Amino acid sequence: MQAATDLNLQLTLKAHLISEFYPLLQRGVWLPVITGDNVMKLLNNQLGIAEAYVTDRITTLFLDGKAIDDAAASIVKDGSTLALSSAMPGLVGSTMRRGGHLAAMRGEITYHPTQTATIGAGKVKIKLFNMLMQEVGPLLLERGVLLSGAELITLLDEGASSFRDGCDSFALNSQLYPCAELGGKLLTTLAPQQTVLLKVVWKD
Amino acid sequence: MDKILRINMGASGGPSQSIEEAGEFTALGGRATTSMIVAKEVPPDCHPLGAENKLVIAPGMLSGTAAAMSGRISVGCKSPLTGGIKESNAGGQVAQVMARLGYAAIIIEGKPATDDLYKIHIDKDKVTISVDNNLKLMDNYPLVEKLREEYGDKVAYMTIGSAGERKMAAASIACSDPEVRPSRHCGRGGVGAVMGAKQVKAIIFDDNGCKHRQPKDPEKFKAANRAYVEGIRKHAVSGEGLPAYGTNILTNVLNEAGGYPTNNFKTGFFEGGTKISGEAQAELEIKRGGLATHGCHRGCVIQCSGIYNDKDGKFLTKQPEYETVWSHGGHCGIDDLDTIAMLDFLDDNIGVDTIEMGVAIGVAMDGGVIEFGDCEGAIRLVRDEVGKGTPLGRILGGGAEMTGKAFAVERVPVVKGQALPAYDPRTVQGIGVTYATSTMGADHTAGYAVATNILKVGGDVDPLKPEGQVDLSRNLQIATTAIDATGMCLFIAFPILDQPETFEALLDLLGAFYGIEMTGDDVVALGKKVLNLEREFNTKAGFGAEDDRLPRFFKTEPLAPHNLTFAVKDEELDELYNWS
Ligand code: SF4
Repeated sequence: MQAATDLNLQLTLKAHLISEFYPLLQRGVWLPVITGDNVMKLLNNQLGIAEAYVTDRITTLFLDGKAIDDAAASIVKDGSTLALSSAMPGLVGSTMRRGGHLAAMRGEITYHPTQTATIGAGKVKIKLFNMLMQEVGPLLLERGVLLSGAELITLLDEGASSFRDGCDSFALNSQLYPCAELGGKLLTTLAPQQTVLLKVVWKD
Repeated sequence: MDKILRINMGASGGPSQSIEEAGEFTALGGRATTSMIVAKEVPPDCHPLGAENKLVIAPGMLSGTAAAMSGRISVGCKSPLTGGIKESNAGGQVAQVMARLGYAAIIIEGKPATDDLYKIHIDKDKVTISVDNNLKLMDNYPLVEKLREEYGDKVAYMTIGSAGERKMAAASIACSDPEVRPSRHCGRGGVGAVMGAKQVKAIIFDDNGCKHRQPKDPEKFKAANRAYVEGIRKHAVSGEGLPAYGTNILTNVLNEAGGYPTNNFKTGFFEGGTKISGEAQAELEIKRGGLATHGCHRGCVIQCSGIYNDKDGKFLTKQPEYETVWSHGGHCGIDDLDTIAMLDFLDDNIGVDTIEMGVAIGVAMDGGVIEFGDCEGAIRLVRDEVGKGTPLGRILGGGAEMTGKAFAVERVPVVKGQALPAYDPRTVQGIGVTYATSTMGADHTAGYAVATNILKVGGDVDPLKPEGQVDLSRNLQIATTAIDATGMCLFIAFPILDQPETFEALLDLLGAFYGIEMTGDDVVALGKKVLNLEREFNTKAGFGAEDDRLPRFFKTEPLAPHNLTFAVKDEELDELYNWS
């Protein structure tokens, strides 16, 4: 399932605008990656998230809805969904923690490593929760995420006034435009079912 | 806290009062105090709304001191909802003020012979019990507004709304917060109905002229408090996640795990989950000029609460907690935060438990009263039916079980008559064990103290063995009962789990205050003692092994997306109370 894109969009945005992407990041964004790697390698080698950060900060992980105890033994397949969160409160929050003392309480939804996985170009859906939206979100958007036209239209619509103030410029298929044209230009170019590779350049 | 105030509402000639020495309760608090008094003084087979039941109010062991997080207030009685023993606790200012007044407990017993409504004012010199029929059927917010005109803002209020007066089994007791709003509730088990049955509308605690309670060893106490606060602040959950997003930080994670009960426990994933997540809620609160970080009482350093403003930037309610957002949200197919916040306000105002109310509405939706996802309909049911005490409102206010019976619903998520909170036991089977066996009925906080590995309650458990679920649940329930006894907010459990030095600091705090050496074993022994007493009370009240069960649909209806059923065997559940 190689990721094909219809449009390439690059936005140059002020850093605080990451919050406009929070709803999207919680629902999940597709990333073109090499699948078949384990979770640790995907996050560390491919996405550039430091191993220590993954170990210390991303303490709650779900691969296709199953709680992960060992990130190095969990294989990401093409089309998988990987949800990342920091430590959770509550008894149930604690049971979900990676390798936690109470993991047995959610034994039925624990991820059990599979042996087979094909290595190749594919895509993975990444969901970010809580503090990780702010800490990891910018990195993913910088690297590039795949959105449907419908998702992009909603994003630009809901954050219209923020984008007007905090956007420097945008490039559509490498052609540069002023931000004033963001809504108009895209809305006329974009169909809801199209796939857009969105990259964000962050400015202080 | 060296005295107990006993008020007999049924004394001939009008309510009487007496002061007793606190004795064994001097160095106890919270659930330990309420459950020990209820177990000793209340006939287990009495009617919960009758004269023989007693309402016991107790602050925590360190309430009224400078110790952080020490302001939970406990209320105990025989529950009109479950028919068993009940302890329900809340934040707000009451515990701190009551403790500074020197009371280890207040026991309200008997029942007035007339239909007069009373208020009780307690200050350092006297207790005044007076009739005030002008307060009849007032709801909490206007009621506290009115009381403030008379007693001012430098007091703490404990009140019931119209639901308590109507003795609805889901009625709560409101405790005023630092802004003097009745937003913190002893919600579970219908404790508000017991206060209503005693015809006590409000208790006003006035600590004017009182000082902080002083520790026996001030230096050690100060140092322990510092270490304890540092431990809380540096932990990712208590120092970051909870302050930033509150307990509703759990919505996304539970949804992702497929354990978020949706549309009355039909599926474990809610499509609209991200719209009502803690992350979305915090964004909205900040945008509208509210607060995403706020303490429910002074001295809270975690501050998991917040202020939720309406579209015009005006206060609507305190930040609804995860369980409330779930009960009125995903459980009812509602994905609109403003609707949920309005329901939270209505619950607090009328004085009903947000979990019981939300679950009852979801059950009513399943029974065809209104459609799942009907925001206006849900508001109408609470405001116009429960709030006005109509026959339909009384059914809903009677809780989820009563609502299920009234509308012939087969899927009724209750244990011992109390609604299950926001975690599906088919996905997280360990919590199902706690729901089934807790002395309190289905209760997510009953096994909340995740510190069992540090406490080593019951020895080491092999978490990889399936039967470990029962062992873990047992240990969690013992540890939780112990923390409930200290009157500390349960969220301290997280730094305690991961940081042994923070647990030591808590023991040092207790030890330095009372001038004793406290060990983990003492805490565990206290937890076991209280649970044994509660269990014994319930047995005498008529509960047996058959009541320590989840509703059968959890065993027979697989829950999507993982298609799991609850698999812990009855015989295993029966092992829970086997401890030496
Ligand atoms: S952490 Fe939350 S519940 Fe606990 S005392 Fe603070 S505000 Fe209240």
